[in-house]
Amino acid sequence: MDTLQKLQILADSAKYDASCSSSGSTRANKNNGIGNGNKAGICHSWGADGRCISLLKILFSNCCIYDCKYCINRCTNSVKRATFTPQEVADLTINFYKRNYIEGLFLSSAVVKSPDYTMELLVKTVSILRNEYKFNGYIHCKTIPGCSKELIDKLGNLVDRLSINIELPSSTSLKLLAPQKEKDGILDPMTYVSNGIKQNKLEKSKFKPSFVPAGQTTQLIVGATPESDLKILKLSEGLYGKLKLKRVYYSAYISVNNDKNLPTLEAPPLLRENRLYQADWLLRYYGFKADELLDETHQNFNHILDPKCDWALRNLDKFPIEINTADYFTLLRIPGIGVISAKKIIKARRSFALDFEALKGLGVVLKRAKYFITCKGKYCNQVYKFNQNFIETNLIYQERNSLPRPNFQQLSIFDSLQPTKEDKIKCLTGSL
Amino acid sequence: MPNWKLINKTFLYDGTFDGFLTIVFDCYSNKTLPQKIFSEAEYTFNFLDHTTYIETDFEKSKRVFNGIEKSISYTTLYNTYYAFLSDEPEKEIFILKYLCNGFDIGPKINNMLTVSYVFKVMNMKKRCFGECHRLKGLLRFQEIGNNLYYASIHPDNNIIEPLGHHFISRLPNQNFIIHDKIRDLCLLYNGNEYRIIDSTNIKIPTISYEEQKYQELWKLFFKTIAIKERKNARCQMQYMPKKYWQDLIEEP
Repeated sequence: MDTLQKLQILADSAKYDASCSSSGSTRANKNNGIGNGNKAGICHSWGADGRCISLLKILFSNCCIYDCKYCINRCTNSVKRATFTPQEVADLTINFYKRNYIEGLFLSSAVVKSPDYTMELLVKTVSILRNEYKFNGYIHCKTIPGCSKELIDKLGNLVDRLSINIELPSSTSLKLLAPQKEKDGILDPMTYVSNGIKQNKLEKSKFKPSFVPAGQTTQLIVGATPESDLKILKLSEGLYGKLKLKRVYYSAYISVNNDKNLPTLEAPPLLRENRLYQADWLLRYYGFKADELLDETHQNFNHILDPKCDWALRNLDKFPIEINTADYFTLLRIPGIGVISAKKIIKARRSFALDFEALKGLGVVLKRAKYFITCKGKYCNQVYKFNQNFIETNLIYQERNSLPRPNFQQLSIFDSLQPTKEDKIKCLTGSL
Repeated sequence: MPNWKLINKTFLYDGTFDGFLTIVFDCYSNKTLPQKIFSEAEYTFNFLDHTTYIETDFEKSKRVFNGIEKSISYTTLYNTYYAFLSDEPEKEIFILKYLCNGFDIGPKINNMLTVSYVFKVMNMKKRCFGECHRLKGLLRFQEIGNNLYYASIHPDNNIIEPLGHHFISRLPNQNFIIHDKIRDLCLLYNGNEYRIIDSTNIKIPTISYEEQKYQELWKLFFKTIAIKERKNARCQMQYMPKKYWQDLIEEP
């Protein structure tokens, strides 16, 4: 089997992994080698599904010994199987990198023979890249659940980012769909890596390699199991808080297998995935708590309004907010004002008091924000009333174009009197 | 700057950053603001204008260059450089006002976003910087000789120099040519130093079998990695506008 076929099979198996970011590494070009890291990350292309391609995302092998129900590579599926050699992966990465196709490598693998055996192959590949080719670009690796700690240490010293996928948000779902995996088998290595990062930061020195400098991430599948948004968000909040994860990715469930325990969905729940990502950003950058966004009575996100608007409408007593005096985290709570706008406002109001015209001049988008703010004590002139009903109606009206449309049809008196083919012929021949 | 004299003149310069800084020096020392500033190549003669050609003076430009960092801030120098590379018409007059006022009031100038010319300069910098960042990803090298790589780009702004710096620090052992086809500029790098030259005629030799093989692999990877069920052409186009497609290897 040549490289072309292997690449097709193993890229096809890897595509369901959502993570593809290349940010967080400041690795400089050392030892006259090739490549460097970019703190902000660089996207190199965008696939037909609109997701960015920044890393060479492939599996090392898809010959799996596990039988997870949702996975395309489960051992009971009949799909084409292939395995790279460490040298092949390293050559491919270097040659793609030289042509600026990619920012680095994302290497994952199915479990071949045993977790430790697979992990050794990954370590070998990465060490060829780092030591033989002196590659300083970005490398993201998957930790194989259940592998030994020594191998995690070895890999962690070579790569920029490690990740291990939780996939299913509760242990009951895990038991149902991935019977061979255990919750502890996933969370233990995660905790181990998180402690390793903390320790490495404390003992930072010039002579010690940095351990997973870009942090670790994970992925959750949305829509395969009956967990509510609240439960998923709580889990993410815990992961960010306790384990200091950089990102939690959400992947809308796509049915690839038929199994009695799996739901049958017509289309992946993309809107739900989007809402979760919006809420995830609110957790990480806006100082929100999961309990504020959702509660026992609202377990799932609103389909029409985004999580921040939804929160604001339920907490109208905290509004309107005065632009010229509110602090940074209060500004961030206004729907339609994000990190960039809030920073701009704080900067600009040092020299002048801001009014609505000035906000427009700054490039702050007022589409949603205008209902929730005052400038120099005045409301925007388009806000006639300040109550929930008025604001909600207007917000929804503004979003009408991006909302899914019901299938309406113009009624007609003649619907029941559609001309038949014979009638039309009679028309043409003039015998009607 | 409020009581500066507006003079009915059009200043011309040679289009270089040094030339522009010379104008800044002259205007600031005479406390005058010209009506318009044009680079000589872009200017078409107009009998209503009183034109004066300002000779580039490296002594003056160096003083301004160091002065910006010393008496305003590094951020201002950074903004000025990127704003100068943008393709905005009449960019010079906005940057001139931004700098002259900056010399008067100091680093506070970067916070005065509600002032129209400061906002304009910030926007020009943002657009230019954004395009440079985008091309750091979308530029594609092709191997045309032994360890010699070639890439063509069609950018809106004149970002070949900052783009070159990125690739020099990233691939220091690789000889490469970056060709700006809109402005007919070439950045050449030989492993030691780089040079930007004018080029109207560049012939690329036919690419090798090895190069073709990797292009095929990349095209295949690009096609395979997209999930069919999630197809979203509009989202793809938003991130990767069609104007950049001509220089790509893959066919989106």
